[in-house]
Amino acid sequence: MSFLEISGLHKHYGPVAALAGVDLSVVSGSRTAIVGPSGCGKTTLLRLIAGFEAPDQGRIALDGEVLANGGNAVPAHRRGIGVVAQDGALFPHLTIGDNIGFGISRGDDKRSERIVELAYIVGLDKAILKRRPHELSGGQQQRVALARAMAMKPRLMLLDEPFSALDTGLRASMRKAVAELLEAAGITTILVTHDQAEALSFASQVAVMREGKFSQVDTPRELYLRPRDRMIAEFLGDAIILPAKISGGFANSPLGRIPVDTADNRDVARIMLRPEQIALKRTSREGMSGTPDMLFGEVTESEFGGSMCMIAVRLLNSADPPDAAAIGNTPLVLRKPGMDAPAVGEIVRLTVLGKAHVFA
Amino acid sequence: MLPPGGSGAAPELMRSAIDLARSGLPSGTGQRTLWRTAPWIVIAAIFVSLLSLLPLAFIIWIAVQTGWETVSALVFRPRVGELLVNTGLLVLLAVPIAIVLSVALAWLTERSDLPGARLWSWLCVAPLAIPAFVHSYAWITMVPRLHGLWAGVLISVIAYFPFLYLTVSAALRRLDPALEDAGAALGLGPWRVFLRVVLPQLRLAICGGSLLVGLHLLAEYGLYVFIRFDTFTTAIVDQFQSTFNGPAANMLAGVLVSCCFVLLGIEVLVRGEERYARVGSGAARSQQRARLGRATIPGLLLLLATTLLALGVPFVTIGRWLVAGGMEVWRFDEIGLALGQTLFLALAGALLATVAAMPMAWISIRAPGPLQRLLESCNYIVGSLPGVVIALALVTITVRIALPLYQTLFTILVAYALMFLPRALVSLRASIAQAPVELERAASSLGRPPLNALWSTTIRLSAPGAAAGMALVALGIMNELTATQMLAPNGTRTLAMAFWSYSGEIDYASAAPYAFIMVAMSLPLTWLLYVQSKRMAGR
Amino acid sequence: MRYALSTLAGAAALAVNLIAGPAMAEDDGIIVYNAQHENLTKAWAEGFTKETGIKVTVRNGGDSDFSNQIVAEGSSSPADVFLTENSPAMVLVESAGLFAPVDADTLAQVPQDYQPASGKWVGIAARSTVFAYNKTKLNADQLPKSLLDLADPSWKGRWAASPSGADFQAIVSALLQLKGEAATADWLKAMKTNFTAYKGNSTVMKAVNAGEIEGGVIYHYYYFGDQAKTGENSKNVEMHYFKNQDPGAFVSISGGGVLASSKHPKEAQAFLKWVTGKGGQEILKTGDSFEYAVGKGAESNPKLVPLADLQAPKVDATTLNSKKVTDLMTAAGLL
Repeated sequence: MSFLEISGLHKHYGPVAALAGVDLSVVSGSRTAIVGPSGCGKTTLLRLIAGFEAPDQGRIALDGEVLANGGNAVPAHRRGIGVVAQDGALFPHLTIGDNIGFGISRGDDKRSERIVELAYIVGLDKAILKRRPHELSGGQQQRVALARAMAMKPRLMLLDEPFSALDTGLRASMRKAVAELLEAAGITTILVTHDQAEALSFASQVAVMREGKFSQVDTPRELYLRPRDRMIAEFLGDAIILPAKISGGFANSPLGRIPVDTADNRDVARIMLRPEQIALKRTSREGMSGTPDMLFGEVTESEFGGSMCMIAVRLLNSADPPDAAAIGNTPLVLRKPGMDAPAVGEIVRLTVLGKAHVFA
Repeated sequence: MLPPGGSGAAPELMRSAIDLARSGLPSGTGQRTLWRTAPWIVIAAIFVSLLSLLPLAFIIWIAVQTGWETVSALVFRPRVGELLVNTGLLVLLAVPIAIVLSVALAWLTERSDLPGARLWSWLCVAPLAIPAFVHSYAWITMVPRLHGLWAGVLISVIAYFPFLYLTVSAALRRLDPALEDAGAALGLGPWRVFLRVVLPQLRLAICGGSLLVGLHLLAEYGLYVFIRFDTFTTAIVDQFQSTFNGPAANMLAGVLVSCCFVLLGIEVLVRGEERYARVGSGAARSQQRARLGRATIPGLLLLLATTLLALGVPFVTIGRWLVAGGMEVWRFDEIGLALGQTLFLALAGALLATVAAMPMAWISIRAPGPLQRLLESCNYIVGSLPGVVIALALVTITVRIALPLYQTLFTILVAYALMFLPRALVSLRASIAQAPVELERAASSLGRPPLNALWSTTIRLSAPGAAAGMALVALGIMNELTATQMLAPNGTRTLAMAFWSYSGEIDYASAAPYAFIMVAMSLPLTWLLYVQSKRMAGR
Repeated sequence: MRYALSTLAGAAALAVNLIAGPAMAEDDGIIVYNAQHENLTKAWAEGFTKETGIKVTVRNGGDSDFSNQIVAEGSSSPADVFLTENSPAMVLVESAGLFAPVDADTLAQVPQDYQPASGKWVGIAARSTVFAYNKTKLNADQLPKSLLDLADPSWKGRWAASPSGADFQAIVSALLQLKGEAATADWLKAMKTNFTAYKGNSTVMKAVNAGEIEGGVIYHYYYFGDQAKTGENSKNVEMHYFKNQDPGAFVSISGGGVLASSKHPKEAQAFLKWVTGKGGQEILKTGDSFEYAVGKGAESNPKLVPLADLQAPKVDATTLNSKKVTDLMTAAGLL
C-alpha cells in the first residue's frame, strides 16, 4: 500500500511552471530519490510535500490523510514531516544540544536523555552537544540536522541535497550511514538530489525529473539499464547509443549482433549500451586476420585518471557495413580500470556483454 | 541624518563591512610586510587613532588636575543624580519602544506581503533626513504643552527609530529562510518560529541598533531643549554657556562619557561572542513573504501612523510656518550665506574625515591583526562620544595648549572628522574589501612605488565607497549643532545655528526656511544610506 | 540668482577668511564678541560701517560663555570689542585685567550711573526685570510683592525662569549683592523646588502666554518685542514691575568694552563711541529691541515705562559676581 500519494501536482511562480503535473507514490518504509538537473522543480516538489508552500493544483496525501488539495494545505508545523536541508540549516544561535532538542517540548522530562540518544544514533559524540554549529565540520552539521529532524519522530523524512556540500569521500560514507539509520528507524524517506550516482545508490525507487515532470519512475537498476529515452540514459551515466535493426531478440548494429531486451522486430531502432558492457582484450594487427566476425579497434586516446582511465577506441572493422564508415570516424569512449589500460596505438578486440536496451 | 552631537555609523553596518572584509579576499599582506612596504600609511593610521583618543585623554587629565575633592563635589550632587535619572529613564524607555516598533516595521516591510512594502520601507528610513531638533520643533508647534520625560521618549523614538529599523531590516533580509522552514518542519507555528528562530537571530542587529540609538539619545541636545527635558548633554551646554569650560561642565562630560561606556559595555555583554551568520555554504534561497490576510489593515495602519508621526508632523509644521511667514522669512542673503557656509564646512569636514579614515581602512582590510583591531577600536570609541564632549575637549585643549588653533576652521574640521570618522571608515572598508589586492601587486610589479600603486588601484576603485562615506559625514555635519556652536570660527553661521537662533527667540516662522533646506538637502543623502544598507544586505 | 551668488559668496568668504586664519579677518575690520541680541548688534554694526567704512565681524554668543572665553583666551583673544546684555560678564573680564580704558569722550556720553568708576567699560543699554504673568490666571492682587516672595511654598509650581541664561543670572547677582550669600543660597534652594525651568526668556513668556504656567521672571523687552510683531506669544501676558527698590526691580546694564589686546584699538574705540552716541542710542529708540537707551539725552522707546519710574534698587554694577552666582546655582542644582 502506498504511504505517500501525490497526484496531479502543479505549481507556478509567475509565468514559470515549476511543477507541471507530478504523480508519485511511495511505499511505507522505502527510500525514494528524486533526481534531475538544477531547476527541474525537484526542490519545489519537496517544499510542497514539507508544507512550506501550497500547490496551485493537485493533491498530497500521507498515510491516508490529505495534506494538500490545491491551495488548501495543512501548514508545515502540523505535518510531522522531517526535513534535512542542503546545509543542515542549523540554528546558529543555539548549541548543538538545543538544536537537536528544538522539536522536543522543553517540559519533557526525557528531553536531555533523548538528545544524547539521538546524538548517539547519528554517531555524534556527547561532548559536541555544548558547542555551536559553526564549530562543526560539514559532515557533523548534517548529522545534527538529521538528529534534529528525527527527534520529532517524523512519519516521513525529506532530504534536500543533504550531502552535496560534503567532500567526495565523506559524501559516500554519510549517504550509506544515513540510509542505514533511516532504514533501522523504519522512516520513509525522500531524497532530492542532482547527483545521479547518489540517487541510484541511495534509493529503492528513483524518479527522474525534468521540467516540472517525472520522465520515469523506477528501481535504480531498471532506470539505469532500461531508460525510457536517450536523455534519461545520458543523465544517469555514460551511454553508447547506436542505430540498429532488431529481429528475433537480437540487434544488428555497428558493434555486431547483440542480444536485446525486447522480442519486437523493428527495422529502424536505437539501442543503448553502457560503456562497461564493452570488454576490451589486447591483441595485435596480426591477431585480426582470419576472424571476420570479430570486432577490432585501435586505441586513439588514453587519458590516465587514477583508478579509471578514459579510453577512445576507433573501430577498425564492423559487422554491419552500412554504418561502418560513420562508426569508424567516431571513436567509442570507454572507462576502464587504470591498472592495465591499453596504450595509444594498441589494437584491441571488443566484446559486448549482456543485453542492449532498445529505446521505445 | 545624524543630528547634533551625532555619533558613529551603525555598528551593524560596521560589522557587516567587517564580515565582508574577513570573508572576502585573503588578507595578503602581513603586518610586518605592511610596515616595510608602506610605513607612512601605518604612521598615519596610528596618528589618527591617537588623535581620536585626545578627547578621552583630556577628560581624564582634567579630572586629575581638578583634584578629587572638587571632582567628587561636582559629580556627587543631587543635580547629577537628577540628570542621571532623567537620562537613564529616557534610554530605558525609548530604546525598548524603538526596538519593538522597528522590529514590527521591519518584519512588515521585509517579510510580509504588505502592499507597497518598498515604499513603506523607504518611508521608515526617511525620518533620518529630519534633524532631531526639527522633529522637536515640529512637535512643540503642534502640541505647545509637550514637555518632560514622555515627550522626550515620544520624539526620541520618532527621530531615532530608523537607525534600528535600518539594522534590523538588513538583518531580516540576510536571514536564511531555510532556518524558518526548519523551525516549521520541527512543529513550530509561525508565531513561535518568529520568537524562537527569527528573533534570536536578530539579536546582533537589535544590539547594534539599540546601541546606536542609545548613544544618540545621550548626545542629543536640541531635541530636549525644546521640550524642557534636561539630560547630561543639555546640562553640559548650560554649564558651558554659564561658565565656558569650567570644571563643572567637564565633570558632567566625564559622567556622560561614563554613560556611553556603560552602554558600550552592555552591548558587548548582551551581544556576547555570538556568530549568527549563515552556517554552511551554498546560496540562500530567496525569502517568501508571509500572507497577512486580515492583518493587512492593522499592518498598514501601523506604518501609516508611524509615517504620519515621523514625517507628517515635521512636514506639515514646516509647511505651515513657511505659509505663515510668507516671502518675508526667505531672507535670501542670510540664508544663502548660511547655506554656503554649511556646504563648505560639510564638504571640507567630509573630505578630512575620509582622508583620515583611509589609512586605517586600508590596513584593516589588507593587514588585519591585533594591532589593527586596537587602533580601529579607538576610532569607533571617539565616534560614540557626544559632540558636546569632543567640542569641550577641543575648546580646552586649544585654549590651553594651542591657542592659535582656537576657533579656527582647522579645529572645527578636526572635531567633525573625529565625530564622524566611523562613518567614513565603514564605507571605505566595504569598498576597499571589494578591490582585489592583486591589482596593487600588479601595479607594484609594473614599477610603481607602493603609495603610487595604492593610489592608482585600490583608492581609485574605492572611490564610490569613499563618496558614499563622504556623503554620510556631510549629512552629519550639516545637521550638527552643539560642536559647531562651540567651535565655529568667527562669523560662522550654519543652517543649524541660524535655525537654532531663530527658534530660540520663538521666531518659528523665520526658522522654517532653514529647517526646510536642511531636510531637503538631507533627503538625498538619506536615500543613499537606505540604498547602501540594501546593498550590504546583498540586494 | 541672487540666492546662488550669496551662497557662493558665503562659501568663498568662509574659505578665504578661515583658511587664512583670524589674522586676515582682523586686517579687514574689527571683531565683536556679541552677547547682545543679534538684530540689535547687526543694526549697530551696519550703521557704524555705513558711517565710518570700518568693517565689523560679529560673533554671536552669550554673556557668560564669551566672558569666560575671553578670560581663557587672555591676551591672544581675537576679539576687539565685547558687548553684553548684563554687567556681570563685563566685571569678569575687567577683573582679569583684559579691558583697555574706554575713551574719555565715550564715557562722557553716558551718565555716571551707567558706567563703572574704573572707566574700563561703559553701559550701552539697559533692561528691567519684570514678572510677566498670564492675566487670565492671575489677578493684580495675587501678584508677588517682591522677588523674594517667589521662594514661598505657596508659589510652588507656579512660576518659571530660564536659569541657564545670563539674564537671570544677572538678576541673581543683584540679589546676591543686595541680600548677601546666605539669603541668596536659600532663595535659590527654594526656587529649585518652586519653579519650572525653560530655556530662554522668550520661551518663558510663550509658556506664560499659553497658560502653561502663571508667571515668569524675565526682562521687559520680550513683551514689547512680541507685541510689535504679532503679539502671538504675549496677548495674554501682562507685566508686573516690582519697583520699591526690590531686588526684582533690578535694572541690568548692558556693557561694552574694548579689549586691551585689540589690534585695532582706534577702530574699536570708535565703534563703542558710536554705539553709545546718538546713532547707536537712536537705534534703541526706533528699532525693535525695546531695550532702554542710556546715553545722555537719549530717549527710549515711548512705549516703555520710563527708566526713572522703575524704582530700581541701587546696585553697584562693578561688583556683580558672576562666578559666585554660577557656583551658588550649581550648588542649588539649578545648573
